[in-house]
Amino acid sequence: MSTLTVENVTKTYGDVTALEDVSFEIEDEFVVLLGESGAGKSTMLRCINGLTEPTSGGIYLDGRPIEESQPSIGMIFQQHNLVDGVSAYLNALTGSLERTGFVSSLFQWQEPADKRRALEALETVGLLDEAHQRVSQMSGGQQQRVGIARALVQDPGLLLADEPVASLDPASAETVMGYLRKAAGVHEVTALVSLHQVNIAAHFGDRFIGLRDGGLVFDVERGGLTPSLIDDLYGSVETVGLADRRAVDRTERPLEAERRVEA
Amino acid sequence: MSSESPSKPRGLRSYFGFVDGGESAVERKMTELKRRKTIRRLWAVLGVVVGGIAFYLSLLATEFTVSQLLTQFPFFLDALTEYFPPTTYSGIPFIDVAQYWNFMVDAGLFRAAGVTMAIAFAGTVLGLPGALLFGILASERVVPYPFNFLFRATMSFIRAIPALVWALIFIPLGGVSPFTGVLAIMVDTTGYLGRLFTDELEEIADGPIEGIESTGATKPQVISFGMLSQVFRQFIAWIAFDLEHNVRVAIGLGLIGAGGLGLELDIQRKTFNYTEMMACIILIVVLAGSVELMSQRVRSYLRDDDSEETGVLEVFLTAPRKILDSTAGRR
Repeated sequence: MSTLTVENVTKTYGDVTALEDVSFEIEDEFVVLLGESGAGKSTMLRCINGLTEPTSGGIYLDGRPIEESQPSIGMIFQQHNLVDGVSAYLNALTGSLERTGFVSSLFQWQEPADKRRALEALETVGLLDEAHQRVSQMSGGQQQRVGIARALVQDPGLLLADEPVASLDPASAETVMGYLRKAAGVHEVTALVSLHQVNIAAHFGDRFIGLRDGGLVFDVERGGLTPSLIDDLYGSVETVGLADRRAVDRTERPLEAERRVEA
Repeated sequence: MSSESPSKPRGLRSYFGFVDGGESAVERKMTELKRRKTIRRLWAVLGVVVGGIAFYLSLLATEFTVSQLLTQFPFFLDALTEYFPPTTYSGIPFIDVAQYWNFMVDAGLFRAAGVTMAIAFAGTVLGLPGALLFGILASERVVPYPFNFLFRATMSFIRAIPALVWALIFIPLGGVSPFTGVLAIMVDTTGYLGRLFTDELEEIADGPIEGIESTGATKPQVISFGMLSQVFRQFIAWIAFDLEHNVRVAIGLGLIGAGGLGLELDIQRKTFNYTEMMACIILIVVLAGSVELMSQRVRSYLRDDDSEETGVLEVFLTAPRKILDSTAGRR
């Protein structure tokens, strides 16, 4: 269980400001990052993950600068980023590379504890029986679950997921989000998940952080996510059909019509 | 419109289209068409004449005459009965397979086939480290742009020279022997297999590399797990393919004396033992075909994307042509 602190983070690419003075702190929660494409969600996650450095501001995990704690951040990608021709088990096992020497990793001489952890992670995402199946032969939803397992094997304090269900059909998207939430719960990991599907977000999140044009628009607990906030976040066009709904709550089923296709 | 008939002949010049002017635009075009046709015909005649002369000279140079063909034909028929010695099995005429078999056993042809396989296998294994090294270093993802070309160029140079010529070059090193054959195949493998590895590495996806990086892996770990493990199966498939190719090359190298089945075939040819020669050819086709069949099954098992599988009969029928192609350095 870790505490992630984001302090006044600004990120610019030349003239373009991707993030502007964003601050929040999350701990022991399943937090959803909302916003349209280009709102700065990916940049935020990449900064936290250490793939890019913020122009100014600081990011801390349990009080330590983020660069020192990269191994304890598990990352789940939109396109799962697994090695296709290799089994689910070996993909999950790559989560332990950071703790393993080069030669040992070449010959799969990982600690038995790490091997057990890989199998346990696959069990958490419901894929223990498919452990020896090649990832290329799995469905998109199953592949993403292997991606979750790999992140869990890292034994992370913080799980980041960048649009983990954007390329999945609605049913698989729900399943994967269900497993992601379960995984975060079972392994007691703080999770920050960026999503663009409001209905799925509302269904699974504990807390919602809204980004628009690189700035923080709202930071609310479950129940505080009102149609007017979402309207504010996405502008009027995207929320046609949402505006006349009273409240968005967790029990609602995701609707096909609300899915926005990200470019 | 002229009242005069437009097609009234005006002599040969008009027929071939070499007259000036005409009464109308259409008339002038008609004349031009005739002229073009005349010129085309002149070129055709020239082509036939030149081709005919070249053909005649070629016949002279090769001393090819129909009378020679006719006088030699009975000998060819004789040879044919030696190629395919006839016999009867319980009254039904058929080829005497036992003769082939006896020769194969007596002359130790199976051992020779083993030598051919050994040349191919040893050459492939010896060439593998070089192929891996050059193949990986030639990839732009591993070695930055201008420097990777050093390795690419080396492999291109190796490939520019067919294995057969490499064997000739290495004769001072190992004589005309299986040893030289192994050397030639080793060098050939470094050039070809390495290039296939490079091509395979160029096609890998960035996602898995980023995925491995995100786990906190070191640079060597990222290369081996993010990059090489993506192409591991393909590498094995290419090795199987190259082994198959090298068996065909080894047969070809035998013909110039590097041992194995090819050498046996050459010996029988020089001593005009046609039955024995055919026995060698049959065994060669069976060997090349079986290796290709095996290699293909391995490959289609390894790569789930491509489903190309050649039929059993086709594999054996196309074996002779593929042996020649491989020997000449083509795949």
